Amino acid sequence: MFQALVDGILLGGVYGVIATGLSLVFGVLGVVNFAHAEFLMLGMYVAWFAWRWLGLDPMLGSVLSFIVVFAVGYLVQRTLIERVLKAPPAAQVFLTVGLLIVIENAALMAFGSEFRSVSVPYQVEGYRLGDIFIGAPYLYAFIAAIILAAVLWLYLERSWTGRAIRAVAQDPMASTLVGVDTRRTYALAFGLGVALTAFGGAVILPYITVSPTVGGQFVVLMFTVVVLGGLGSVAGALAGGIVVGVVQSMSTLVFPIQLQNLCLFVIFIAVLALRPQGLIKGA
Amino acid sequence: MRSFLSPGRVALLLFFLAAALLPFFVDPRGHLLRVAAMVLLFAAMAQSWNVVGGLANQISLGHAGFFGLGAYTSTLLFLKLGISPWFGLFAGALVAGSAAALLSIPTFRLKGHYFALATLAFAEVMRVIANSWASLTGGPVGLSIPFMGSQPAYFAFRAVSSYYWIILALLVLVCLVFHLLATGAIGYRLRAVRENENAAEVAGIDTFRVKLTASVISAALTAVCGTVFAQFTFYFDPDSIFALASISVRMAMIAIVGGLGTLAGPILGALFLIPLEEVANALLSSKAAGLSQFAFGVILIAAILIQPRGLMAYWPKKRHPAGSRGA
Repeated sequence: MFQALVDGILLGGVYGVIATGLSLVFGVLGVVNFAHAEFLMLGMYVAWFAWRWLGLDPMLGSVLSFIVVFAVGYLVQRTLIERVLKAPPAAQVFLTVGLLIVIENAALMAFGSEFRSVSVPYQVEGYRLGDIFIGAPYLYAFIAAIILAAVLWLYLERSWTGRAIRAVAQDPMASTLVGVDTRRTYALAFGLGVALTAFGGAVILPYITVSPTVGGQFVVLMFTVVVLGGLGSVAGALAGGIVVGVVQSMSTLVFPIQLQNLCLFVIFIAVLALRPQGLIKGA
Repeated sequence: MRSFLSPGRVALLLFFLAAALLPFFVDPRGHLLRVAAMVLLFAAMAQSWNVVGGLANQISLGHAGFFGLGAYTSTLLFLKLGISPWFGLFAGALVAGSAAALLSIPTFRLKGHYFALATLAFAEVMRVIANSWASLTGGPVGLSIPFMGSQPAYFAFRAVSSYYWIILALLVLVCLVFHLLATGAIGYRLRAVRENENAAEVAGIDTFRVKLTASVISAALTAVCGTVFAQFTFYFDPDSIFALASISVRMAMIAIVGGLGTLAGPILGALFLIPLEEVANALLSSKAAGLSQFAFGVILIAAILIQPRGLMAYWPKKRHPAGSRGA
């Protein structure tokens, strides 16, 4: 029981960072990015190749994932998403769904359908605290996620560009008037959002194998986390991540592992039904 | 004020007539007729989706859930209890309609992205259940319908043309339902809800009930398509029947490419997209796995960027039948 709680928190911290990216994109651009989980997959592949070719541990490779996927996201925003920012939701939904299909199949063509995993020395190691066993890869991924979350918070809070992102999220017109380049800021926010998720994908590589369809496993999870924390709220996504991690880990005590997504769906629908006001305001 | 035979309707009737005669001119067992049947089936699916997506502008990304419920209900009733799929067809529609009603309770207040998200999650969960509840659904292996030769009472035929005509009849039925909904009182209510939900509510429209009716009808029609699909293809599995890209998105995309909320839109969209994909598949599938799906995604993105209002946007505006988006 207590074991499941600890496992859940460790998982949930990473889910938090993964979902923070999605929340950031929605909060700043007002676009729900259905293709978001595909950037997680891209991040995992970058980290895998970094491990394979450069011998980088995924914890370090995650920085590379962050940078590469940031660049990809920046370009995607400038070439595609930017054009539908003012379009009706249907156009936005289908553009990002189209992107999802394109990225997933591009990965299938480029990397093949086989599952790839890394082997690192700490994979089966762990720490024992009384009765509780803490798996090393889970712990390291959690620590990496927390560090990134702290850096993100500092960046948004203190740096000029971080403040610009928050300003644009609040009022794009007013930010333009005070001299913020909104187009650049949107691209920055989108790149940052997908890069955060890619980072989260990279640090879980030691315990989750990567394949072109890995994104599908995370779609419902990611949206549940974000909806739970309030779409657009970065801090909410972190908290939501921990809650979802704990629920998921607890639910494996009761249900078979394949039904985890079902539990998430029940939470998801319950939140939508009971707290739609929280959703629609976004906060 | 319109004459009964407006150019749009004449074109539609001519299309149905030409479609009905097609099997006499092509090889009745050939591949071409199968593709034509798929065009009509996807047109019917997109038209079912159009009831919710077009008239109420509720973008559903979960219609594969209803499609699969239809296929599973009729096939399981047949395989486990020997009940004819003709009855299974209605049972499937009932199951999917009930599922839509249940799903409406938490989702009816949601709009745009949130509705799309909730419906997407619904279809994903259907897929997960079908995969993991193996004792009932057969799990990831899927279900096969045994070949029985020609047994019309059990929805089994030897000739492709028989299925083709059934699918055509289904398309005509779905189009008729859509037309009646679009031009009837409920169509006006749905459009009122689409334009401004609060105003509609103030004007005395029970918005919950209107949306509920639309989504139940849409789900039931989609489930009928699912049953017909299962009978036509003899085999399906959870990942293909509850698929996001190849079912849910494709249904919506056909309606959008053709023209959201229009009667002819889904037919135009299916006539354009399904053969295109078929050609892309024939040319590309030998090259690399995923290439044809990749092309599908590229077309989707291009369609959204080039003409968000769909092919029907090129049809002269004033000729629109009532119930279309611009009318």
